Amino acid sequence: MLGVDVGGTFTDVVSVRDGRIEVTKVPSDATRPADPVVEGVRRLGAQGQEIFNHASTMGLNAVITRRLPKIGFLTTEGHRDMLDRGRVWRPMDAQTDPSWRRSFGDVSRPLVPRYLRRGVRERLLADGSELLPLDAEQATRQLELLARCDVEGVAICLLNSYVNPAHEQRLRELTREVLGDVAVSISSETSPLAKEYARASTTVIDVFMRLIFTEYAHEIDAGLRDLGFDGALNFADCAATLLPWQEALEQPFRIVFAGPAAGTVSSIRFGQATGDSNLLCCDVGGTSTDISLVVDGQPFVDNTFEIEHDLIINALSTQISSVGAGGGSIVSISASGDVQVGPGSAGSVPGPACYGRGGDRPTITDACLLIGILDPETFAGGELRLDVEAAQRAFESLDTRLRFDQRVAFAYRIVAANIAGEVTNVAVRNGVDPRDFTVVAYGAAGPMLLPAALEELHVKRLVIPPHPGLFSALGLLSTDLVYYDSRSAYVVLSPETAPHIQSVFEEMEQRLRERAGSAADGAVVRRSFDGRLWGQSWETPFVSVPDGPITAETIGELIDRFHAEYARRFGPSFPYIPVQGVSYRVELIVEAPKVEYRAGEPGGAVDVEPDRMIELRYLSPEPFAAGEYARERLPVGARIHGPAVIRETLATTFVLGGQTAEVGAYGELVISQGGAA
Amino acid sequence: MSHSFPRPAEPFLSVERRPVEGTCPECGARDLAEYPVLSEGGWWDVVKCQTCLASASREPGPLFGVYVPLGLQITRDH
Repeated sequence: MLGVDVGGTFTDVVSVRDGRIEVTKVPSDATRPADPVVEGVRRLGAQGQEIFNHASTMGLNAVITRRLPKIGFLTTEGHRDMLDRGRVWRPMDAQTDPSWRRSFGDVSRPLVPRYLRRGVRERLLADGSELLPLDAEQATRQLELLARCDVEGVAICLLNSYVNPAHEQRLRELTREVLGDVAVSISSETSPLAKEYARASTTVIDVFMRLIFTEYAHEIDAGLRDLGFDGALNFADCAATLLPWQEALEQPFRIVFAGPAAGTVSSIRFGQATGDSNLLCCDVGGTSTDISLVVDGQPFVDNTFEIEHDLIINALSTQISSVGAGGGSIVSISASGDVQVGPGSAGSVPGPACYGRGGDRPTITDACLLIGILDPETFAGGELRLDVEAAQRAFESLDTRLRFDQRVAFAYRIVAANIAGEVTNVAVRNGVDPRDFTVVAYGAAGPMLLPAALEELHVKRLVIPPHPGLFSALGLLSTDLVYYDSRSAYVVLSPETAPHIQSVFEEMEQRLRERAGSAADGAVVRRSFDGRLWGQSWETPFVSVPDGPITAETIGELIDRFHAEYARRFGPSFPYIPVQGVSYRVELIVEAPKVEYRAGEPGGAVDVEPDRMIELRYLSPEPFAAGEYARERLPVGARIHGPAVIRETLATTFVLGGQTAEVGAYGELVISQGGAA
Repeated sequence: MSHSFPRPAEPFLSVERRPVEGTCPECGARDLAEYPVLSEGGWWDVVKCQTCLASASREPGPLFGVYVPLGLQITRDH
């Protein structure tokens, strides 16, 4: 099995063969992005590999940085500014800020500038009937204008087209006639759901991703075949589920981003081995800590993915909360003289001061280096030598009366407290008791920061899985292929409407089976709908639908499930109010090969001697000694009493004084406060 | 000085669009015009292509556009 995670700086390729995990890092290349992927696979060997799963930040980065191809947007005349308005939601901190602007609005950085958003004379009503016929002549004039502006693609989203796609289909034909073979997406095929803004933004992102990924995917496929790879090439989507690459190019909006969700599925997979099904997953990277919740082995899934505030697409995505706390988080002094950490980050360029790449502001990585948690000689497997003096200068430059040791110690403790606070928020927001949950700490900075948060977390235990620096990439080898489709139909659930709802589900399932081909045999079908109480303007999503046909006899169960889900999410229940179905969803889940975690030889709990003693500073009035261990030499059952530093190639674990770390059956480090884990 | 507004006599009001030399950077048409627009963020003095409506330039305009508040008129006139 091969997995590749294409980041902005490095392309990580992971190979799992006969239970052995190998990794290679290749510098990413923005001009020829497929080359590092193929090079990484060449290094690890492609022959005999069954699957190759791909995730990339390329699509997301292109959107965030607005390095996007030039495309046009066609919509019903008078509605082109829907892409400027979004849902008209303001974030809480902007409620009283008159200077706040939507990041994708026309005065900020629009995805499609206003002059390329053109209105087309036509109008369909909500029931799909035609109020105004499509004015082909006027539409052609708009398309000719887009042609003069050299657009590379066109997104088409007309009002109510999710009920009747005829005008969009005709407009696509006209687009082909005027512009030739450019990338075109129509909303009635891309995302046939009610509410035109989300449908429009999904269609726009779909065209961008089509332009960004089509050539790239073909290049990777050709490169892998040249290396002798004859397995399946899959792309991961916003929920870190997989889809075959040809299917990904049919629905490219799904693959805009797969990053943090991969860590969640990796945690679920590892939890299956260790018997943990209630997890708080913490991915601590350079810029942020991404936290997700898993209850009974299931992540929380959203029916939209928010790229920026209010910039949403209709894609299933794992619910993830982020806090600006990571290894690169910048330490600064607030106006009131306090030490504060983040949310700004030094990123990878220039990076923390100790990287010696021009950064002069202190970061958490600099603090960990000064404390002695990080070893300047062996950081990142020895690929980067850290500059202790640069880190020292950066902390000295802070404009504060605090002593040097206080600056460093406070920065370390504050970042841990920030992470602990957000982990608790995630648990409380979702109504779960963190004491019943295991925290999984991964990402390169997770093992050195999460143990410090343990005192405030009040969780069952803290687990650091094997290969924490690669754990998200391993998530790509821990997930299934999922084909999904969804569509809208506003229907009050009743015995009379049951046949209509059944036909909507049947039609979607039939189409999915055709798309999946032979892979559909043995696939699991999961159906759900988003509904609302009659009169509401918002939906309760993911109400599960029972197996079997929906008939006048079984519709009652759908209604009961809606009320149960409503009560679970919001508390009260209103069984006397009719239920209106809005959107219906079918997922076809095809099992894919996954990474297997194998238990090591069991051994009794035994205290192990450190490889050597090192001196740690600043966290107490006097320097103190800590044991240093190499993680790969720790046997199952090994027990380590803090303070201790456990090193491995891409991560360092810091066990605080008063804590104990014990190596579990699968190589995981289980850290507990006080006695034995 | 009167600070009242006469009833407009024209059925539709529009700002004067002054033709500007040059070519649209987006569609290539030689059809640029200069005029004020009211948009998010207030009034802007823009040069826009009259064929595709792309903005060739966009500078912040006076706070109240063409309207000069009485207080400012007094200050200006005296």
